[in-house]
Amino acid sequence: MSGEPAKRQSTSRARALAPRLALGLLVLSCFSIAFAYGSAFLTAGAPAAAPWALAFGTAGALSAMMALGASRQGRLHPLTLGAITVSFLIVAGGFGCALALPPDEGPAGVLALGLPLRTAIIIYGVGLLPLLVLPLTYALTFDQEILSESDLERVRDLARSKRPLA
Amino acid sequence: MIAVLPDVNAVSAPTHPAIVAIALLYFVVVGSIAVWAARRTRSAKDFFVAGQGIGIVALAIAAMAATLSGFAFIGGPGLVYQSGTGAVFLVLSASITNTMGAWVLAKRMRLLGEARGLITVPDAIGARYRSPAAQGLAAVAILVAVVGYMATNFLALGLVLNAMFHTGLGPGIWLAMLVTLSYTVTGGILAGIYTDLFEGLVKTTASVTVFYFVLKTGGGMEGISRAIMAVDNTFLGPWGKMGPMAAISLFFVFGLGSLGQPHIAHKFYMLKEPRRLKWYPLLMSVAMALTLLLYVGVGLAMRAMVARGTIPPLARADDATPSFVLGFTPSVVAGIVFAGVIAAGMSTVNSFMNIGAAALTHDLPKAFGRRVTNELRWGRIWTLVLSVTAVIVAQLSGTLVAFLGIFGYGLFASTLVPALAIGLNWQGATREGAAASIATGLVLTLALETLAYFKLFSLPTGVTTSGLALLLSLLVFFGVSYLTRVRAASQLDADIRLVMEV
Repeated sequence: MSGEPAKRQSTSRARALAPRLALGLLVLSCFSIAFAYGSAFLTAGAPAAAPWALAFGTAGALSAMMALGASRQGRLHPLTLGAITVSFLIVAGGFGCALALPPDEGPAGVLALGLPLRTAIIIYGVGLLPLLVLPLTYALTFDQEILSESDLERVRDLARSKRPLA
Repeated sequence: MIAVLPDVNAVSAPTHPAIVAIALLYFVVVGSIAVWAARRTRSAKDFFVAGQGIGIVALAIAAMAATLSGFAFIGGPGLVYQSGTGAVFLVLSASITNTMGAWVLAKRMRLLGEARGLITVPDAIGARYRSPAAQGLAAVAILVAVVGYMATNFLALGLVLNAMFHTGLGPGIWLAMLVTLSYTVTGGILAGIYTDLFEGLVKTTASVTVFYFVLKTGGGMEGISRAIMAVDNTFLGPWGKMGPMAAISLFFVFGLGSLGQPHIAHKFYMLKEPRRLKWYPLLMSVAMALTLLLYVGVGLAMRAMVARGTIPPLARADDATPSFVLGFTPSVVAGIVFAGVIAAGMSTVNSFMNIGAAALTHDLPKAFGRRVTNELRWGRIWTLVLSVTAVIVAQLSGTLVAFLGIFGYGLFASTLVPALAIGLNWQGATREGAAASIATGLVLTLALETLAYFKLFSLPTGVTTSGLALLLSLLVFFGVSYLTRVRAASQLDADIRLVMEV
């Protein structure tokens, strides 16, 4: 293969890395969820690993979808990558903590912000923290990465060029 | 959001003058919006996508209002009262779904409207894969779910109107249909969006106000928690009365499944200025978080009061919200909440009326290579036909209507998430993969829900029909797209490719 086309192809491959990784993570997450669901059909019931597989699969599937949607020309803006990684860690970590920590929801249980500790991690962590991170990341990267004036013009120009003349 | 019926006796609001006055005022405002919108609806584009002239605040609040049906105010708090914090997993993913929806769908749907003048969700699928068959399949899936959803919501609205105005259940159902139909058929989605905006504000006000009374009555979150933990050591656990598998399954279905809800995706076409999408996730997330305070708070407060012995246990879980607002808030607040319940049902129904009519007027004829000459007139006619059908289904089918409503969310998720949400972001997806995944979602959801309804088969604990159908339709989508991958590039038009790349 001659230099220029080979270089172009390799650049194109490198560029497509983010959506490829996102798709790979999405498929892997689906298999993880499939393992959890499949094992629930066993006569002995779901093994202890099943909720973990479901938790990580679910966190992975949502993060992979975000990464797939946010990829631009095969790459992710560092801020977006950071925000999606943080939200994956919050969701997977939150579910993981709730699964791993010993139950403590009896009369003498410890409260955090008015809720039992494990529940507080789920409600305030999984239910609120991503809400502080993701919408702001979206707004901060919008003009540069999501939809610039020139992007919009390109789409409008193509639409105009395809429209029959009056 | 799934639509679950309140028990027939659950919403037993006495006809307090303030409650009735607020409900009547609500109908006057909705009627005024309908008259205003009807004067501005002159074409099919006006009727189905509000002439692409909606501002971002109206879009975000309307999307929130359409997402949260009456379930968020009646069934949801009842479920929290019954199942504890596990029931919160239905709405927990809202911290992620709005931004995820913006990244995955909002820009691409809006640009498809710009590039091709598309007006429906099946339109987007048809254009993405250059496939009338995939468009037709998506329209069929939407129609099946829409009739069930509408019937369930009409029945729920009939119950509420009967409880408030003593109309009788049958007349209540027809009254609810006629009010919603009157503004949807005349003003199309333009009336729908602005009534949704008003209804969304009513819902948010009601939720925040009630949450204030929840904290006041319960002695803050700590007081509520201590009261419950003194008598029950699982209710406030992270999964409540559900197991971890069941709770996380809800998070999966309502998280990823949010990308397949056509009444939300459809709204992205309507935005006037695409670059205003910048603020959509923030506005939608804040509005949703505030409106869900009632969902989370009321069930916990009622359970705490039962634990303390302040009130006897509720006869029915769905009594949680009516009992709380009538017993522990001023009658004006109760009036706003009941108006909010009506608003929640109507805002969801009008969105479904519109997308159902669009499927019949626009998508199915297009799938068969035909074109309806006057889409505006036929859009109105089909809205009427669908509404009457849904009311008849609601009146005749008894408990079957609840069954129809329950699987709507899952059906949308399993049929539309792969083909629409992933398909618009992955150039390797093929029309064969899309058609196979839509068919898988449709057949599997209908078969499993029907078998479960007639008690012929049930899934193991922690596995839901919606979750399983969504998972399998995703795997089928990836598998078939992989097997037919050589055709992927040839199925993409240049303008669609550009929309997917920018």
